[in-house]
Amino acid sequence: MDINTAKLKKNAFRVTKERGLTASRIRVPGGHLEAKYLGVLQHIAEEYGNGTIHITSRQGFEIPGIPFDKMDAVNEALQGIIEGLEINQEAKNEGYPAAGTRNITACIGNRVCPYACYDTTALAKRIEKAVFPNDLHFKIAVTGCPNDCGKVRMHDFGIMGMTEPQLDPNRCISCGACVKKCEKKSVGALTMQNYRPIRDAHKCIGCGECVINCPNRAWTRSEQKYYRLTLLGRTGKKNPRMGEDFIKWVDEETIIKIILNTYDYVKEYIDPNAPGGKEHIGYIVDRTGFEEFKRWALKDVVLPENAEVMTPVYWKGIKY
Amino acid sequence: MVRNDYIPFPSEILEVIKHTDIEYTFRMAFRGKVKPGQFFEVSIPKYGEAPISVSGIGDGFVDLTIRRVGRVTNEVFEHYVGNTLLLRGPYGNGFDLKNYKGKELVIIAGGTGVSPVRGVISHFAENEKQRKGMTLIAGFKSANDILFKEDFRNWRQKMDLILTLDSGEETAEHKIGLVTKYIPDLKLQDVNKAVAIVVGPPAMMRFSVNGLLDRGFKEENIWVSYERKMCCGLGKCGHCRINDTYICLDGPVFNYTVGKTLID
Amino acid sequence: MGFHVNESQFDAWLTEQRKTYDIYAPMRYAGGNTFSDVDCIRYGKVSSISEIVFDKKSEYSFKEVLSPISQTLFFFTENEKKEADPPKKGAIIFLRSCDLHALKRLDDMYLRNGPEDYYYKRIRDNIKIVLIGCKQSFENCFCVSMGTNISENYDMSVNAQGSTYAINCKDNAWNQFFLDLGASRHLVVPDQVHENPVKVHIPENLTPDVARASMWEQYNKRCINCGRCNFVCPSCTCFAMQDIHYCDNANVGERRRVWSSCMVDKFTDVAGGGSYRKKNGERMRFKVLHKVYSHKKRHGCHMCVGCGRCDDICPEYISFSHCVNQLENAMKEVST
Repeated sequence: MDINTAKLKKNAFRVTKERGLTASRIRVPGGHLEAKYLGVLQHIAEEYGNGTIHITSRQGFEIPGIPFDKMDAVNEALQGIIEGLEINQEAKNEGYPAAGTRNITACIGNRVCPYACYDTTALAKRIEKAVFPNDLHFKIAVTGCPNDCGKVRMHDFGIMGMTEPQLDPNRCISCGACVKKCEKKSVGALTMQNYRPIRDAHKCIGCGECVINCPNRAWTRSEQKYYRLTLLGRTGKKNPRMGEDFIKWVDEETIIKIILNTYDYVKEYIDPNAPGGKEHIGYIVDRTGFEEFKRWALKDVVLPENAEVMTPVYWKGIKY
Repeated sequence: MVRNDYIPFPSEILEVIKHTDIEYTFRMAFRGKVKPGQFFEVSIPKYGEAPISVSGIGDGFVDLTIRRVGRVTNEVFEHYVGNTLLLRGPYGNGFDLKNYKGKELVIIAGGTGVSPVRGVISHFAENEKQRKGMTLIAGFKSANDILFKEDFRNWRQKMDLILTLDSGEETAEHKIGLVTKYIPDLKLQDVNKAVAIVVGPPAMMRFSVNGLLDRGFKEENIWVSYERKMCCGLGKCGHCRINDTYICLDGPVFNYTVGKTLID
Repeated sequence: MGFHVNESQFDAWLTEQRKTYDIYAPMRYAGGNTFSDVDCIRYGKVSSISEIVFDKKSEYSFKEVLSPISQTLFFFTENEKKEADPPKKGAIIFLRSCDLHALKRLDDMYLRNGPEDYYYKRIRDNIKIVLIGCKQSFENCFCVSMGTNISENYDMSVNAQGSTYAINCKDNAWNQFFLDLGASRHLVVPDQVHENPVKVHIPENLTPDVARASMWEQYNKRCINCGRCNFVCPSCTCFAMQDIHYCDNANVGERRRVWSSCMVDKFTDVAGGGSYRKKNGERMRFKVLHKVYSHKKRHGCHMCVGCGRCDDICPEYISFSHCVNQLENAMKEVST
């Protein structure tokens, strides 16, 4: 049996511990899909695999136990899902064109969750459209609010939804619910003055608790959707660490531009001898220094007026 | 055109009588009809309004006995003779003296509850012919909390007075114990015709009324006065409502036959 | 007179009216609700019929026009008081039958409970009512049970029928305006609801004794005392007084009255620490009995008009109508 494992991996299959068998990895940007696709996955698993499906930690599916010679058939069977989920593809019926840049994960977002500040699946899909296919090892995750149920701080790019609360003072009835909730559930950015809340814009993390708890629509959400962009969190053997804040009150356009710029940066600075051609961006930044990264990342970026850029950024994490 | 009842009028502080560290009587310039048990909305611009009952009425003045317990009253205490406070009122029904004339009268008052009923006490103290008998049971927390000390010295000569403190040492001036302790000892000629007024904190009123009923007082011969949050005094703000009764309009003084139906 | 008018004819009338009136109607506030990307339907000033939302119930009622959420009574300067100005224009209010009945409740409170209220009266005397016909009941409505499904005392009514508006006009000047516009005349009756999926029964023998019933206990834990039910209610009128001094000039300030809620903490707090109805179940009982008992005793009609907004808005899914329907058994419980 002669298999080009690099080509196989690029095609979103895996070299498994069982000789002769591979596993197909299905990406679901934003982790939300029409139920009908589950039938397709069932068919592939039962027809080509061992009848089981693993729900991956990145909100995709992995169908194990597929003989190498069934890869083409599996790719053909996957075509409906790839098109249905609007995954960028190079040639029809040939499966996924890359696997380096991982599935963009998302919490359930505002299609369901009351706390979410935006439609996380839609943003995940938008980012997917912009960055995929790409062989570079990028992990991107989006989450609806600072609760960070999407655990985005464990990713290279973590995107957390924010809203900039707007107060209509004439609708405020001084019940204090916003102040109480901000204090108890969030960061305590509100205080009462003259019977009405005053918001410390610097302290505010844009979680929207004030809006959610306002009984009279005195607090509402900003029309503009904002995000907190966290950088270069990672799991792994060497130095796992949480992503640190890079920009607060940033917009979607800017986030996508920064991610694309980072691909250029990585191409320039990645260790050519990295095992498997794979190096976490964080280690590259550790090498070049944050300032060089920032220079690349913010190239041609026009930040929103109220965006706060944290610089320099320092990471902690576990070191052995 | 409808009158704007929300605009207060300025009233000069004519005298400040200090009872305790946190309780002063402000004698305010006022000419107009007013009854004991009614109240004024007292305010200081930018600090707010507070309902204060009338503790004394005289020619050209009303007394407002104020306890320093909140934002408004704290600020009132920063005012002196010659300054002005803003007033609205008087509001509420107040005590109707004719209900008590020619009868044996028992008044039970606790703490600042003495204020609204002080006018009634003074009236019957000065007009002995208008009453058959009179007993006042007044309770305070401690000697330092006694209000209207001078009045009590005067009243002691003119009625049966039991001044009692929640705790401390008994003296010639005062006894020790809750007001309810002295209800069983009340000397009455005819309990069926005797009338009573009870004013004070909710628990004190409840137990005192029960004590009177146990002594055989008729419900219709007992009057009570309720303190509630009266923001407007005009039957609008809703804070003082109990069932279909607005304390600021229909009270604060109620015959107990009505008062007993008022469940918060 | 009855007319069928199109959008531009209706707008011509609105344009004419806006010279002397502000027009208040339910409108859509895009993204203006609690949760993200959810619109809020509530009252605002409109200039075109297309802005008026006919196919949904407004979450908040019209009452904020007559009883503003925050209303300045007067301004203080160092030595003077200056009464706040009245609105420059009168108001034309688009509302439904239940809300028109609620207007009577507002009048009960502001005009007949104690002295007439100066600030209410000066707005009240300058309003006109446009009744929005209800083709069908919305969720949680129980107007038929409350007898508020039909209204007569409007100046004009409007049934939205796609791009045509069927109006019934009782105002002579307005009739003339539509005649001059060449609007086609028709017999028009305001759309009325004659049945709601939700029905309530208020027991005849209801008394405040029902306070002793066990039904109120469930609300001690279920209710979060946020006050939404009061704020959306078209007949709730409670307010609190606030004095403030301006941050940029501490010598100047204002006294205002601001909506308050009998469900929210501090409503009954008296200076010195006393407070009443600490439990949410007690607050619920106080509110419910006001709506279906106490107001009627004082003013002859139930305060509740059956709009169901309190049910629509409650984040804890506590239903007012369901609560009212427990009263009969609760009376049995306390009578035995």
